[in-house]
Amino acid sequence: MLIEYVPLILMVIVGFVLAVVFLFAAEWLGARRTTREKQTTYESGMIPVGNARQRFSVKFYMVAVSFIVFDIEVVFLYPWATQLTTLGLTAFIAVIIFIVILFAGYFYELVKGGFNWD
Amino acid sequence: MFQSVSLEYFLILAAVLFSIGSIGVLTRRNAIIIFMSIELMLNSVNLTLVSFASFLGDSAGMIFVFFVMAVAASEAAVGLAIVLALFRQKQTVNVDEVNIMKW
Amino acid sequence: MSLTFIFFTVLAILAIASAIVTITARNPVISALSLVFHFFMLAGLYLTLNAQFIAAIQILVYAGAIMVLVIFVIMLLNLGDEEKLKEKFNLRKVIAVLLASVLIIQFFLIYLLTRSGKIEIAENTAKLSTVQSIGQVLFSEYLLPFEAIGLLLLAAIIGAIVLAKRKLT
Repeated sequence: MLIEYVPLILMVIVGFVLAVVFLFAAEWLGARRTTREKQTTYESGMIPVGNARQRFSVKFYMVAVSFIVFDIEVVFLYPWATQLTTLGLTAFIAVIIFIVILFAGYFYELVKGGFNWD
Repeated sequence: MFQSVSLEYFLILAAVLFSIGSIGVLTRRNAIIIFMSIELMLNSVNLTLVSFASFLGDSAGMIFVFFVMAVAASEAAVGLAIVLALFRQKQTVNVDEVNIMKW
Repeated sequence: MSLTFIFFTVLAILAIASAIVTITARNPVISALSLVFHFFMLAGLYLTLNAQFIAAIQILVYAGAIMVLVIFVIMLLNLGDEEKLKEKFNLRKVIAVLLASVLIIQFFLIYLLTRSGKIEIAENTAKLSTVQSIGQVLFSEYLLPFEAIGLLLLAAIIGAIVLAKRKLT
């Protein structure tokens, strides 16, 4: 059984090892000439403003919550979609009810301004 | 003895993970880490359900895992919103300092 | 030493180690990242149990969605650099570890007293854990719980909006 996953496991291992090898090879082989310009955060880019450790806005949280709820919805709809023809009308109506219930949540968020960015 | 992985191995692993999660809930005072420990415990229960389902050849356990995942996601959304509201109110996520409901 | 046994042992040790890192790390970001690692290890364990779809969903929902939410909250509260919670050694910690070891001892006693005799994964598991089979069972026998999950998600989205919508000062 597990033998069927050996290619997958090999791919994960090879990907991991390659990433580590390249990282250290670049560190080891690369020339290292540090100047003041090279040490800046964005070499030949903009000069960074402020600190990276600022608080995020709560707007990001609202987006994440909407994402998580509709992610779960898709997880439930996917097994149904593969079996659409064999499951018949009862399951179809049940799924429609499910989608309508979640659409009520979506509508609530829309009305409350959860999707407004400003 | 070490030829096949029996059901007990998975159950003991799940038990150990559950205990680690419960230690986390009981010892840490950071609300977010307590929350993550609860996720650990939920996941160990999921592992138990899936191992029973696949060793007994019954898909009910796998269906339950779906429901547990949906509950965990809802819990994450509401629980973290509570942590946000708490932080807004008290400027802390230390659960020891949250004692307004204490009589 | 079969391949399954080696695979299980490696995954189990990594899962326990990352769980311990999760509950002991001072920095919540490290804690969250090691929890993501833990979820990947659990997905690997589900693969050894022949539950492919559950493994995929585990990564999709837990590592993909729930941890995003947790990381967002850590960033939102900016807890990464100033972890000033006083978490000193005290009596409560000792009692907690004691309680947890009692829990583990109980589990081991149950293990010693009962043997399931299940040493092999049932043959039909690989067929049962496909998307098609799960869809077939979920939407025939478990329709009412499925609708209840819809209501739960509705409650979650409304609760999160009510609790979090006001401006973060």
